[in-house]
Amino acid sequence: MKLMARAETFDERRLTRRLFIKLSVAAAAVVLVWENFFTGGRVFAQTNPPGWPLADEPVEATLKRLFGNRGFTSGEGRIKMELPAIAEDGGNVAITVDADFPVSGATRARHIYIISDKNRRPMLAKFSLSADSGRAAIATSIRLATSTDVRAVVEMNDGALYAVAKHVRVTISGCDLPPAG
Amino acid sequence: MAEVGRVSIRLPSTIKQGDVIRVRTLVIHPMERVQRDKQGKIIPKNYHFVHSMAAALDGKEIMRAELTQGVSQNPGLTFPLKVDRPGKLTVTFFDTTGKAYMGQAEIRFS
Repeated sequence: MKLMARAETFDERRLTRRLFIKLSVAAAAVVLVWENFFTGGRVFAQTNPPGWPLADEPVEATLKRLFGNRGFTSGEGRIKMELPAIAEDGGNVAITVDADFPVSGATRARHIYIISDKNRRPMLAKFSLSADSGRAAIATSIRLATSTDVRAVVEMNDGALYAVAKHVRVTISGCDLPPAG
Repeated sequence: MAEVGRVSIRLPSTIKQGDVIRVRTLVIHPMERVQRDKQGKIIPKNYHFVHSMAAALDGKEIMRAELTQGVSQNPGLTFPLKVDRPGKLTVTFFDTTGKAYMGQAEIRFS
């Protein structure tokens, strides 16, 4: 029995070796195609004018693209976000973010992001502050596609992230939505 | 929209040394939205919107913003500025057609 088993594993090993060669050839081909695809994509992106539409992005992908796998700390109590609970016109929603973080010193707020979970491109605006700002507070007006959570994310110079979110009900969409169905 | 590109800057009426003031800026701009065809596919073209803004005091950059089509028409941006000395505030908006729209305001103590 022992001998048989050994013979079997030997056979298997030969098989895997053959398979391995086949697989590596296939993998090389895939890598070649993949690389072509990527460099091609990069060249394509470079030649596109800045107003070229970017692909739709779910909010998880946006957060991953902007912040990687870093976790968020609740900014409740430190970040004050003012936003109407019901926005009649999604095309013009006033938003104020006032964060109780220093903008100079060892740990300071560097960026404030405004992210809408259900917009086609969730990253709406990014503000980069400096020591001359004196305060981590900004205001603007945004477009919301539909009723959604809106997040304000404060990124510190050490990479720490503080976030708050608020739900907004939108009566009339501020964006062109794809036809329903 | 003959007015496209007009930048207005509003400062508080009284500014004292050391104050953190709120600078309210606004640019007249359509901030063109993404358009879709009948199938719901996005029409690929160079959309006309403001993609960034930079503010400088006497030539030293004090803040920067990145905007998208998710920002309203005639975008208004309000940002803080700690005023230690008088100077000339310059706010520039850049759009996707390569144009830059600049506005200036004098910061004086009163």
